[in-house]
Amino acid sequence: MWPITVPLLLPFVGSALAALLPPNARNREAWLAGVVTLAGVLVMGLQYPAIAAGEVLHYEVPWLPGLGLSFSLRLDGFAWQFAMLVLVIGLLVVLYARYYMSPSDPVPRFFAFFLAFMGSMLGIVLSGNLVQLAMFWELTSLMSFLLIGYWHHRPDARRGARMALVITVAGGLCLFAGVLMMGQVAGGYELDRVLASGELIRAHPWYRPMLVLIALGALTKSAQFPFHFWLPRAMAAPTPVSAYLHSATMVKAGVFLLTRLWPVLAGTPEWSWLIGGAGLVTLLLGAFVAIFQHDLKGLLAYSTLSHLGLITLLLGIGSPLAAIAAIFHTMNHATFKASLFMAAGIIDHETGTRDMRRLSGLYRAMPITATLAMVAAAAMAGVPLLNGFLSKEMFFAEALEVGSTRDYRMAIAATVAGVFSVTYSARFIHEVFFGPPPHDLPRTPHEPPRWMRFPVELLVFACLAVGIAPGLTMGPSLHHAAVAVLGADTPAYSLAVWHGLNLPLAMSAVALVGGLGLYLLLQRRFRLSSVERVPLVHRFDGQRLFERFLDALTVGAGRLEALLGTRRLQPQLELVVLVALAAAAIPLLARGLQAGSAAPVPADPVFAALWAVGVACAVGAAWQAKYHRLAALMLMGGAGVVTSLTFVWLSAPDLALTQLMVESVTIVLILLGLRWLPARLEPRELGVRATLADRVRRTRDFAVALAAGAGVAVLAYALFTRPFPHGMAPFFLERTLPQGGGANAVNVLLVDFRGFDTMGEITVLGIVGLTVYALLRRFRPAPESIALPAQQEGQPSVGSGPASAGVEAERGYMMVPAVSLRLLFPIMAMVSIFFLLRGHDQPGGGFVAGLILAVAIILQYIAGGTVWVEEHLKLAPRRLIGLGLLAAAGTGLGAWLFGYPFLTSHSAHPRLPLVGEIALPSAFLFDLGVYLLVIGATAVVLISLAHQSLRSHRAMQAMTPGAAAESVAEPLERRWN
Amino acid sequence: MMRWTDHLILVPVVLPLVAGAAMLLVDEQRRGLKFAISLVSTLGLLAAAIVLMRLADGRLEGWSGSIGVYLAANWPVPFGIALAVDRLSALLLALCAVLALASLVFSHARWNRAGVHFHALFQFLLMGVNGTFLTADLFNLFVFFEVMLAASYGLALHGSGAARVAAGMHYVAVNLVASSLFLLGVSMLYGVTGTLNMADLARVIAHVSPHDRMLLEAGAALLGIAFLVKSAMWPLAFWLPATYAAASAPVAAVFAIMTKVGIYVILRLWLLLFAGAEAGASSGFGRDLLLYGGMATLAFATIGMLASHDLRRLAAYSIIMSSGALLAAIGFGETAVVAGALFYLLSSTLSAGALFLLIELIERTRTAASSVLAVTLEAFEAQGALHAGAGEEAPEDSGVVIPAAMAFLGLSFVTSALLVAGLPPLSGFIGKFALLAAMLQPAGGQAGGGVQPAAWIMLALLLASGLAGAVALMRIGIRTFWVPTRPRVPRLRVIEAMPVAALLLLCLVITVQAGPVMRYLDSAAGALARRDDYVRAVMGAPTVPSARDRAR
Amino acid sequence: MELIVAVAIGVLVGSGVWLLLRPRSFQVIVGLSLISYGVNLFIFGMGRLGVDRVPIVGQGAVDPSRYADPLPQALVLTAIVIGFAMTALFLVVMLASRGFNGTDHVDGKEPP
Repeated sequence: MWPITVPLLLPFVGSALAALLPPNARNREAWLAGVVTLAGVLVMGLQYPAIAAGEVLHYEVPWLPGLGLSFSLRLDGFAWQFAMLVLVIGLLVVLYARYYMSPSDPVPRFFAFFLAFMGSMLGIVLSGNLVQLAMFWELTSLMSFLLIGYWHHRPDARRGARMALVITVAGGLCLFAGVLMMGQVAGGYELDRVLASGELIRAHPWYRPMLVLIALGALTKSAQFPFHFWLPRAMAAPTPVSAYLHSATMVKAGVFLLTRLWPVLAGTPEWSWLIGGAGLVTLLLGAFVAIFQHDLKGLLAYSTLSHLGLITLLLGIGSPLAAIAAIFHTMNHATFKASLFMAAGIIDHETGTRDMRRLSGLYRAMPITATLAMVAAAAMAGVPLLNGFLSKEMFFAEALEVGSTRDYRMAIAATVAGVFSVTYSARFIHEVFFGPPPHDLPRTPHEPPRWMRFPVELLVFACLAVGIAPGLTMGPSLHHAAVAVLGADTPAYSLAVWHGLNLPLAMSAVALVGGLGLYLLLQRRFRLSSVERVPLVHRFDGQRLFERFLDALTVGAGRLEALLGTRRLQPQLELVVLVALAAAAIPLLARGLQAGSAAPVPADPVFAALWAVGVACAVGAAWQAKYHRLAALMLMGGAGVVTSLTFVWLSAPDLALTQLMVESVTIVLILLGLRWLPARLEPRELGVRATLADRVRRTRDFAVALAAGAGVAVLAYALFTRPFPHGMAPFFLERTLPQGGGANAVNVLLVDFRGFDTMGEITVLGIVGLTVYALLRRFRPAPESIALPAQQEGQPSVGSGPASAGVEAERGYMMVPAVSLRLLFPIMAMVSIFFLLRGHDQPGGGFVAGLILAVAIILQYIAGGTVWVEEHLKLAPRRLIGLGLLAAAGTGLGAWLFGYPFLTSHSAHPRLPLVGEIALPSAFLFDLGVYLLVIGATAVVLISLAHQSLRSHRAMQAMTPGAAAESVAEPLERRWN
Repeated sequence: MMRWTDHLILVPVVLPLVAGAAMLLVDEQRRGLKFAISLVSTLGLLAAAIVLMRLADGRLEGWSGSIGVYLAANWPVPFGIALAVDRLSALLLALCAVLALASLVFSHARWNRAGVHFHALFQFLLMGVNGTFLTADLFNLFVFFEVMLAASYGLALHGSGAARVAAGMHYVAVNLVASSLFLLGVSMLYGVTGTLNMADLARVIAHVSPHDRMLLEAGAALLGIAFLVKSAMWPLAFWLPATYAAASAPVAAVFAIMTKVGIYVILRLWLLLFAGAEAGASSGFGRDLLLYGGMATLAFATIGMLASHDLRRLAAYSIIMSSGALLAAIGFGETAVVAGALFYLLSSTLSAGALFLLIELIERTRTAASSVLAVTLEAFEAQGALHAGAGEEAPEDSGVVIPAAMAFLGLSFVTSALLVAGLPPLSGFIGKFALLAAMLQPAGGQAGGGVQPAAWIMLALLLASGLAGAVALMRIGIRTFWVPTRPRVPRLRVIEAMPVAALLLLCLVITVQAGPVMRYLDSAAGALARRDDYVRAVMGAPTVPSARDRAR
Repeated sequence: MELIVAVAIGVLVGSGVWLLLRPRSFQVIVGLSLISYGVNLFIFGMGRLGVDRVPIVGQGAVDPSRYADPLPQALVLTAIVIGFAMTALFLVVMLASRGFNGTDHVDGKEPP
């Protein structure tokens, strides 16, 4: 396993380490990166014998066996060659970067990202299954984003990085989709499996969508037309990054994938048109635009585009020989382009500019660098005895083969592209290194440090070596790569420099001569260096289009969000109601609904009259709620009372009691709250008339309300009139007394059969108590409602004027009712305890009892005033809530001691003196907990509301100078928390 | 007699209840003690959940079969209330506990001082959530829903302030309406079938007379709407972005589980009642709503992500996004798809929680104006005049400062961005991959044949949403981390950084350990598909023989 | 009887929904209360209606047909309590919103 895993994992480890080094450790960083990469090179190199023997190394660990996905690595000849390319050039770039990066740059980030990128690139190359490949693919996109944006203080870097990321990630997702489908067709994502089932895939109905999706992935990555525009923008990256990512490796990932899947996908017209077409356009476009660049890196970037186009075109042609040529050119391009980028970087580094209009005659200043750059450029132009020449010859040869022997269009296109590439190479050499000595350069140019130039020397040497003795240098490994891709039917080919006088040679000659001629023409006639915009194609600015598209996307999304969503409450509620109506209506309409068959309970006129009132109340409340809150409140109360009377009537006394108590407490609560709401005048008092929009909205709402009401009524009637299913009632009724220990089945249900519900229910009540308290501590009344309510102004009071009103709220007014109510308190307490005790057998129970006591307390507040009550009545609601919950839960847990489930009820039968033996079911303790909690929760809500008056009075006194009424309530605040 | 493994089923509900109640007896000032209680309880929940997972997975001996049933108050099904644990509920219990632990630790740095009763409400929230995962009784489900909601109201408003209160009012109002729908639905089901127990319901649903079936379905539909509001399906989801964006960081983080509660209930009930042929004439009822509603939600969330310039809204939309994907996946109703969906659920919940915590730390690099802490401080000033310092001080920082804050923030941001957008190589992507692979490989049918058209839409939507998420997050990330002027380096405390790192690491772990995780999820999904096992386990749960049984 | 109660429920819910869709928080709270009355009656009715069938049993053998179904009553009790709690909560949120945002509009700001 180690031969494959080590080179893959090392860079990631190195990246992690690099991130931890201090910011200024330039040398240590470089050493670390260098050693890591070198180790990778060595390990990978050691595998050559195996590769030469035609072995395919596998390493596989199961990852998602259920989905046929395993982490698997696969090393064959092609992968080996690519991996070596990635590693070796990586090593050289590390060495180069050591000198290129300035000490002020945060180097750890650079090398961390760099190594991580190298790792992900190796991941692509070594992946043994396609999903994993797609994952590393996206990882390279991310890393290149971070590397391009390395100098993120520069806007062009930010923009370039963003563009590269968006386009490559989008492409990657398309690739992922394609890979998914391919895996489904081939019956597995393993590369071996997919490569084996080319026939099946090409014949499958999904072939076209698959091809398009995968092509989208590859073309975006390799910056092929129409996605080419991100590459030149990516030149904002530091030059080492450009040299590595944008010439040798990342952009090669696309062509790598196309080559990898060549045996599977190639050979169909769709493939040739799609891939070949994109390649051809990019080849010509790139070469043409490159001529008119003034920025060195810009020229190189566009030339990279055209060379990638050339490779893509070769792959698109679809003949085995073309594929071999593609692989060969991939390697050659990597060597000369990397060296050229480094040279450009050196020039930039030493002169301070990359603008060819300012650079000239650098040969004198840096002869060695100049020579190197010239050789590399010559290789790029395809001059004989250099590696570029060989692969270009092969390309020409293939171009002749395309179509029928009569059809020369492709050959012509190829030659034209050759001409262009010679032209821009010539321009590069001539304008930078020859001509008059440069003036007003930011720095005085001179040769770079020895080791900064070393990588260039090595690469240029490689160009020469391959160019002169291809068979000895590239031959073997190229052969293994070709066999790995093409398999058994690898055609015979020769890498000789001299193939005799043939058409391709002639085309090369034409390209060379024509290219030089074109350059001279452009120089003399059109003063190339003064051409600002690229002729013809400058209108099609992919970058601007892309930026526009991205902005439009954001804006459009904003509009759509506003259209499809809302931030207002009313539409939301309306939608909920409407959706619910629709959801309930559909099955009813689909299946049709009739009334039930059960014998109805005879209607009673009194009951009808009762509900006549109830309905009036409800509608009245709905009508009055906006302008006459008090009236609406009373009407609402009326509806509530009618409801509870209905419960009595229909034999549910417990419900009636509870409803009544809840009713009164709710009313009191809202009354306490009313004063904080703003005064609201009727429209006619304000002289406002409802607009048409208002009327429309109201009509719509009315319709919705009508539909909702009618719907619920229909459902209710339909259900009421149906015979009741077998039901569980008998079970409860028969067991309530013997096993539940109580005659009141409802209460027993609450504390025993379904005591678990009750526990949750009281928890809710407790939570609300806490929330209300927490919220009201922060309560801030609106300024206008701080002033004393008009109703209180006229009251006879101890002092006079607003200042003392607060004192009244604290000490209370209305002396006579106060006294009588004080007498009432013990009685109500007795009543509540009475209800608590009888609850198990008669209507009542902890909840009702608790509410009664809470009401008693609040009555004292209303009459006696806050301070008096809190001086005489010490209860801490928060603790009551806690105790109540603990009592309930404790009762439930008690059952565990007896080995029974939570809340299992037991009856103890203690003998009390005088009274004798009484049945004391554990359920009673539970009910006690309910009782305590209800008191606590209700009291805390009511009292926190009541306290607001005190607070605001104090606030008011704080506002009115001089009136320093003693602030009694401060300690109270503490006690209540 | 009962074994501890039986009682364990109740612990996730009772432990937080007791812890929360006990805290109420402690003075508000003694925050250290409250935090300690909270921490112990939450750790206990995690431990219990893990043991339950092992029990359900058959790693531990204890129950007969993979479903543990607990009869509260010892009454037989359907008369009493039964709790039931299978692999799925145990897993979600664990997920909830993990999330809670993270935000609890985070909150200790400052947020628990922003208002009273934070820890108690927090525990009650956990009680509610766990209860919904456990109960097998519809009305009891309602009760636990209300516990959860009540606590969530309190927590959403924690720290008070104009923005929170305004958002909170919407949240409360919408959910109150949803609760009414819930009650209507439950009572209709009871009125038609005469039972409240889920298993019992699944048993009788096939035998409902055609004369009553429409009412049964109408009731189920109303119930479903209530759950869909909770799980934020479009167009019922508009309350979510505002509420989550306004809530304090730890609260928003733990809220990430709450939409999943809705999802869980739908998954459980729909698969139990309507997905299979057992449902008789009603089988498949509501599938289209889930399928296409889910897709609409996914699309809406994608748009919302692109539209939001504020990281908080974006994170909120990411939650809606995962809900959409999950609902649609449930709509497919195939075991493999459900398993993939569960993996996606795990990843998206954890990452959303991490992101919400992270956002607050990131916002400290900006001026305080934009941070939500400002809202709180404003609230403090607001009540300062009326209510001079009643125990609370403005939340000030406490704890050890971590070095290399920016590096940490950047790394965490990139990681959670990858997770939320579901890009390779992290668990978010694995989840999507599992979903899509299962959809393109329909049960039985080989590739090409029998792929639902919906699967293609889903493929497009999932990838598009991933891209949109990437674009939106990148935009905000660039604006945050790549500002020309160096951002203000914030002081991060270990107890704030640790939870974020822990959640992200957990995502990393489930990425690497995807195999075992998927195996568990596969069997969880498989168990969901085997409805009879659930029905048999719940219906057949024996009561503990007692004195009163002799009376029978 | 059934018809009367059904209509009553309809009216309660209908007026409740109408108020729910109004812009002022006070209207919404009244609406919520009305809806909860309606819903409670609805749940209660699921045990079917009956007069003089109070589910309080005497000693000795019990004839279930003489009593109303106690279960829906228990459910309604729980529902009432929870409804009460939620009303209180909404009230306070409403007041807080009014205090902080200076308006009683449900969106915390007056419509433009």
